[in-house]
Amino acid sequence: MSEVEVEEHFKRLTNNKYVEGVLIVNEDGQTIKSNLDPTLNKKYSDLITKLVEQTTFCVKEMDETNDLSFLRVRTKKHEIMIVPDKEYLLIVIQNPEKK
Amino acid sequence: MERRKEELEKKRQKLAELRRAREERKQVFNTAAQKQEEKSVERSRKEQIDDLVKSLLKDKATGDHPGTPTSSKSDDVELEKGITSHHARLNSISTGYSPGTSVPQSPSILAPSRYIPDFSSFEAVILDIAPKELILYSKEVQTTERSFGPPPPNEDEIRAKILKEQEEKEKARQAALDEERSRMEDEKKKMQQLKDISDDDKKKIISSNEFIDFIDHSTKIIERVLNENYDYMKDYSIIKDNENDDQSGSRVKYVNSFFDDRWTKNRSVTDVNWSRKNPELCVASYNKNPMAMNEPDGVAIVWNIRSLDRYEYVFHSQSDVLTTMFSEFHPTLVIGGTYSGQIVLWDMRSKALPVLKTPLSASGHTHPVYSMQMVGTQNAHNLITASTDGLICSWQLDMLAQPQETLELVHSEHSKTDEVSVTALGFPDNETAAFWVGTEEGVVYQANRYGRAGGKAGINPYDVYKGHWGPITGLHFHPMAGQHNFSDLYLTSSVDWTCKLWRAKSISKPSTSPQTITPLYSFEGADDYVYDVKWSPIHPALFASVDGTGKFSLWNLNVDTEVPIVSTQVGSQAKALNKINWDKEGRKTAIGSSDGRVHIYDIGELAYPRDDEWEIMQKTISEMTNK
Repeated sequence: MSEVEVEEHFKRLTNNKYVEGVLIVNEDGQTIKSNLDPTLNKKYSDLITKLVEQTTFCVKEMDETNDLSFLRVRTKKHEIMIVPDKEYLLIVIQNPEKK
Repeated sequence: MERRKEELEKKRQKLAELRRAREERKQVFNTAAQKQEEKSVERSRKEQIDDLVKSLLKDKATGDHPGTPTSSKSDDVELEKGITSHHARLNSISTGYSPGTSVPQSPSILAPSRYIPDFSSFEAVILDIAPKELILYSKEVQTTERSFGPPPPNEDEIRAKILKEQEEKEKARQAALDEERSRMEDEKKKMQQLKDISDDDKKKIISSNEFIDFIDHSTKIIERVLNENYDYMKDYSIIKDNENDDQSGSRVKYVNSFFDDRWTKNRSVTDVNWSRKNPELCVASYNKNPMAMNEPDGVAIVWNIRSLDRYEYVFHSQSDVLTTMFSEFHPTLVIGGTYSGQIVLWDMRSKALPVLKTPLSASGHTHPVYSMQMVGTQNAHNLITASTDGLICSWQLDMLAQPQETLELVHSEHSKTDEVSVTALGFPDNETAAFWVGTEEGVVYQANRYGRAGGKAGINPYDVYKGHWGPITGLHFHPMAGQHNFSDLYLTSSVDWTCKLWRAKSISKPSTSPQTITPLYSFEGADDYVYDVKWSPIHPALFASVDGTGKFSLWNLNVDTEVPIVSTQVGSQAKALNKINWDKEGRKTAIGSSDGRVHIYDIGELAYPRDDEWEIMQKTISEMTNK
């Protein structure tokens, strides 16, 4: 694995016909990589980071030994899929109405 | 002694006391009884006196001897009678109250008079009458509040009250809003303090190992999710007219082609295999890429049909990988046979390089390994590999340093060399000792791993399955499944443009003189080399073949033996197809192409056998045999 492959994976995601946006942020909501325009990017990174924080807290509160591993938010217009990790978040916005 | 006497004395005193106490009680008792009797006695005495007076008067009147003594005597007796009878009655009652004291006394009282009282029994009926239950009620009269309450407040007061409440609410809301706003501002400030990461830092993060690992892991998940075709929010009440699925039941459906620019470009697929434990995983092996000398010669890639654009694992080998498979008994292990003769073992829990490999020495294979098979059970299994110089090795998966057994297949009647060049290997289902090999010369031989009664270990030179006119590319035994056992049937494919169906001769009766066995049937639908043939794992009469023109054909012996039921061009460029393999459920096939693509086809309804399919197959086979 190298940076080249990181770029490849990122590209493959952004090239997917259902994907509308890909965003990689750190735990503070600072953008590391994104293909969204800056205003939308800011909105997503701020709000999703908070959402993940809250969800993680909720999961931990319910069972201390548990942890959040994947988060899907289905909305009328999109589906937001979030893969949380110790330091980073991968946020992918996809159009759920396939075909 | 003295003491004893004293003790005796004491006891005696005690006894005397007890006796006196008893006497006293008796007396008290008697006096009480007599007192009661006294009254009646007095009354009777009065009567007696009266009688006496009367009788005296009578006597005087008659002038006779006074007869008082006699009469008085009889009166005495009567009197005594009365007393004792009373005593007896009293005793019978007293026994009920205080036994022990009065019972032994009664005979002493009764003793003087011989009177025997007559007892009678009676029953006491005890009635338990429950106390009367007291039920209390509290009664109230419901009245409207207005009729008794204070006079209603007038409208102005109400209005004022409501206004006040509204004001309070508004204030609270305002306060909450202010709080929220200030908090937002705080956060904004905080966010602004967290300035955007500089490009240098970004680069640093991106090149860090944790970040790379995170991306590898997270994009894998996302890609699997993206490949979920089912929309779980689908509303069936909304009719969409763009569902133009003209997929009829008799067609096979193309699912996907696996391809990777870096790893599979300029390479050919040499083998494909499905995982038994994870039916969505499929492994493909590749030969070398002549355009990229720095890349490893051989690779094996694990693909996931749930993640169409991306491989799960890439495994490397120093030599071209010619054949590969998932270990049937270890879900994470992948085995490869290479051009150099090495057997390599990869583990999905480990990195890309093999965890174990066989040495390149004379004890193992030194020629290309084109075929291998796992035989045995979960607890006792061996990997059997065959190289083109006719060497058969048996391996224990955790010990690849040297083979468990080696067996050289030689045929003495071969002209230049006695080697048997093995290109394909097949074990019947549930068989671990006897196997069949397809050779470069186009002949199939039967061979034994061990010597047994009537046969030596090694090739059986007398039974020759002759029919193909070119090297054999594939050999597959009928999988045992269903009502009838067809496990003695096997299929071969060859570069002579045909597939052939054979019946294996029973291994218990090997021939003693050279004998040629001809095929049961020859399928001649291909216009090029046939590279592989495989029975369906669930349908008794279904098999698939692939050929050099890029055609994938499905044959159903119960429907037609002359032409395939489905024949479809795979890929757009008509590249030769090297290998085919069915998945565990017999529903999908993976086809390895010479342009480095693995094509997945869904067989659909054709894959599933009807109940009578075995019976018909039986008939089809017997027709073929009797022809």
